[in-house]
Amino acid sequence: MNSTEALMEKWEVQLRKGTLELAILAALQQRTLYGLELLKLLQSLPSTTITEGTLYPLLDRLKRDELVDAQWVQEGETRPRKYYQLTPLGNKKLTDLTRLWRQSVSDIEWLLANPGPQPLPNTGV
Amino acid sequence: MSAAELHNNEMIHGYLNDLRRYLSRLAPHETQEVIREIESHLFDVLDQQAANGQAADVAEILRGFGDARQLAALYVAHIEEGAPPPRGFRAIQSVKKSVTASLYFAMAVFGFSMAFGLLFIAGAKFLLPESVGVWSTPHGDSIVVGFVSVPPMATPEVMGWWIVPVATLLAVGVAWLTRKVLLVLKQHM
Repeated sequence: MNSTEALMEKWEVQLRKGTLELAILAALQQRTLYGLELLKLLQSLPSTTITEGTLYPLLDRLKRDELVDAQWVQEGETRPRKYYQLTPLGNKKLTDLTRLWRQSVSDIEWLLANPGPQPLPNTGV
Repeated sequence: MSAAELHNNEMIHGYLNDLRRYLSRLAPHETQEVIREIESHLFDVLDQQAANGQAADVAEILRGFGDARQLAALYVAHIEEGAPPPRGFRAIQSVKKSVTASLYFAMAVFGFSMAFGLLFIAGAKFLLPESVGVWSTPHGDSIVVGFVSVPPMATPEVMGWWIVPVATLLAVGVAWLTRKVLLVLKQHM
C-alpha cells in the first residue's frame, strides 16, 4: 500500500469513527432491531461498515447513556434476541447530531463548489 | 451432533469463557447480559450459515468480535471514565462508611463525656467544696484541676466558687461543639 492509500484509509477510519454514533441512531430511527440485524444493515452500506466487536460495546454504551433501551424477545422457536430502540433522549440526540451533520456536509459542499481564483462573495477571500 | 459442530461449540464456549473472565470488573448480571447477547449472535449466524448451505466458519465470525481481552476492555471502558462503579465495588464504599461510623461514635463518646465530666465537677463543688477546685503549685509549673480526694498541700486554690459557673459554661460549650461536629460527620456518613 502506498502512502496516499494509507492516508486515505486513515481518514476513512476517522470519519467512520466520528459518524458511527449518528449512523447507529439513524439506523434505529422508528425501527426496533437486534444486534445482528443492525450489523447487517450497517454492513450493507459502504461507509458504515463496522465489525461485531465495535457494534456491541457501542450499543452497551448507548444503553448506559440512556439513548437506547433494549428488551429480550423470543419469537416462537427462535432463540431469544436483544432488540434495541431509541429512547426519547436518543431521538433528541439524533435530531441534534443530524443538524450538525447536515451543516457540516453543506459547508464542505459549499467550499467544494466555490473554488478560486475568483474572490468569494461574502468573505472577500 | 457432528464432530465439526462439537468443535464449533467448543470454540464458542472457549471464547465466551475468556470474555467472561476479562469482564470480571462488571457486575455479574452485566457480564451475563453481554455473554448472552454475543452467544445469541454467534449461534444465530451459525444457524443462518447452515440454512444457506454454507459451511460454518466460527473462526471468521469470532474474528469480527476481535480478541476477547480487547472486546472486554471496550465494555469496561466506562469504569475508567468515572461512571458509577458497578455493584462489585460496593464493598469498598461500606468499609469507608464503617470507618466514618466508628469515628462518629468515638467523637460522640469523647465530646459528651468531657461535657458530663465538667458538669460533674460543677455539681460536686456543692457537695465537697474542699475537694473540688483548681490548684496552682507555688512555682507555677503545674496546676491541678478538678476533683481530688486530698487537696494539694501548700497550694492556693485559685477559682473558689467561680468553678461552678465556669465548668457549667464549659460543659455547655463542649456539648454544643460536639453536636456541631457530629452533624458535620453525619453528612459524610
